Amino acid sequence: MSPDTNPMRPYLGRLAGVKDLATGIKLFQIELLEDEGKAAFADYKPGQFAFVSAFGAGEAPFGITSTPARTPYLEFAVNALGHVTFTLHALDEGDPVGVRGPLGNGFPMDRIKGHNVIILGGGIGGAPLRPVIQTILDHREEYGHLTILWAARSPDLLVFREEFDEWRTAWATDFHVTVDRGDETWTGRVGLITQLLEEISPSPENAIAITCGPPIMIHFVFLTLKKLGFAPEQMLTTLEARMHCGIGKCGRCNLGEKFICTDGPVFWQYEIAEFLEGFL
Amino acid sequence: MRFTTLDGLRRWLDKLAEEVDLVAPTDVDGHVLYRPVQSADAILFDYERPELSAKDFLFPATEVLLRIEQKGKDVAIEEVLPDRKQVLFGIRPCDAHGLAVIDALFLEQDPPDRYYRHHRERTVLVGMACLQMWEGCFCTSMGGGPMDTTHLDVLIRPSEGGYFLQPVTPKGVAILEGLPVEEPKGEPPSVKEYNEPVPVVPPEKWRPLFNDRIWMRHGERCLSCRICTYVCPTCRCFDVTDRVVDVQPGLTRIERIRVWDACTSPNYRRVAGGHNPRPTKPDRLRNRFYCKFCYYPEDFGPLGCVGCGRCIVACPVDVDITEVMQDVAKQT
Repeated sequence: MSPDTNPMRPYLGRLAGVKDLATGIKLFQIELLEDEGKAAFADYKPGQFAFVSAFGAGEAPFGITSTPARTPYLEFAVNALGHVTFTLHALDEGDPVGVRGPLGNGFPMDRIKGHNVIILGGGIGGAPLRPVIQTILDHREEYGHLTILWAARSPDLLVFREEFDEWRTAWATDFHVTVDRGDETWTGRVGLITQLLEEISPSPENAIAITCGPPIMIHFVFLTLKKLGFAPEQMLTTLEARMHCGIGKCGRCNLGEKFICTDGPVFWQYEIAEFLEGFL
Repeated sequence: MRFTTLDGLRRWLDKLAEEVDLVAPTDVDGHVLYRPVQSADAILFDYERPELSAKDFLFPATEVLLRIEQKGKDVAIEEVLPDRKQVLFGIRPCDAHGLAVIDALFLEQDPPDRYYRHHRERTVLVGMACLQMWEGCFCTSMGGGPMDTTHLDVLIRPSEGGYFLQPVTPKGVAILEGLPVEEPKGEPPSVKEYNEPVPVVPPEKWRPLFNDRIWMRHGERCLSCRICTYVCPTCRCFDVTDRVVDVQPGLTRIERIRVWDACTSPNYRRVAGGHNPRPTKPDRLRNRFYCKFCYYPEDFGPLGCVGCGRCIVACPVDVDITEVMQDVAKQT
């Protein structure tokens, strides 16, 4: 960022595609229009986030769910829950949007390399994990075995179902999916992700587990991993908050003396254990 | 040190008001408040601590960050940085201290806050010493004082026959150039009586008290009304949102604004899915005090309180920051 760049000004973009991802959740594909924006997002990392503007409503932070290697667009999974997200859901392909970022630390892929990786995604919490999965699959020889545990409250809330086949059939990859409650179409597994995790019982040896989901799920996934022998430096998560700046000024995302935006959003479990104030 | 009479001071201020935006203490229906003034006539020269701090003039309660114009599918974004110079006249030393606290985050942490920095560079702080400490004042415990010059460009001390003006910075020397100077009459005054000091406990001693019952005791009667953050010279949290200012066929004009926010608000830390890691009033009040005495000094240097006492006077249910500080001191 050059000194004269205003970090609160979004880069202009255009909605290149909108897809239904799950009930109430859409995938937005954004094409950046300005050279500055393209340069800023040329090399964003898995786990980084950005603010998406719905002009007239405001902006909100979302984990970037794409990788620059797979698509020229920036992709965001957005659940319609508030003013900005409902306004985004009402937009069509071709409509203008704004994007500010990339922000946050992202997942430490260099430290993850060479390890067996266990991914545990709950609901829309799977969105910031998708770039990790894609990065591993695109550099398959640099990582060990990949185990993906994908969950949602119900089948209609499972995100990225179109990609399950790719994940299921990928080399040295196990894919498991579970839902808290099934429905008439669901023939798969029913149960909590923590039960699935205990059942699969992945070895902690040379492994790193990465989870994201509702705070209560992250909490219990960490407890279960601990039971399976995972050490605090083998567990990663990414936290959320309704931030307003993303650059450590607005105060909105503080967890004790930490800011989720600039200290995170990705944290090791040992960092979280030392927080004065919990995320739960 | 320069000396002038009230008449000299008024003439100087009238001239300043023609050249810059002049902000000064005024009487607004019986309330002492800093307000923009057109001439010295509107200014109070003998006044108590104004009810609100001076932060509004550098970090406005509502500030337009961007103007966004949408024509069909085309969007143009314009940054809003008005190029006005201002003099804040008659601010109390604690208000200047409050700005120095905000500086530690908004100027000294990268990236600097572009808007705050812009206003700060174009502002001269001309302070008026307090000849006494008012109800709730405890600036002397927080590293300040009624006649503290540290964070001001000029400090004025009122005396029997006029005003002693002390330039503190080169900006202060420059602003005093047009002042009609006279022979000093008498001596600059001093403060006769100080309020009782309040114990200040260092950040690391706050940490073990995070789960103490102190927070229940002080927090349960909190109304979540947020007046404490509103009157506070150092509270600086903000929200960013859009307001649509004009809609015509094929054209929408939008302002992206930022507005003051408050960590004592129930929804402050609620996340999109509805989870709230700070669901109770004690949780939120604790965050406000920890921000001031633990997080802010650890993260950015200065304590997040200057002892102005405004929150004590403003709180409708008598939550008293000095009582909290005393309770913390007792526990350590």
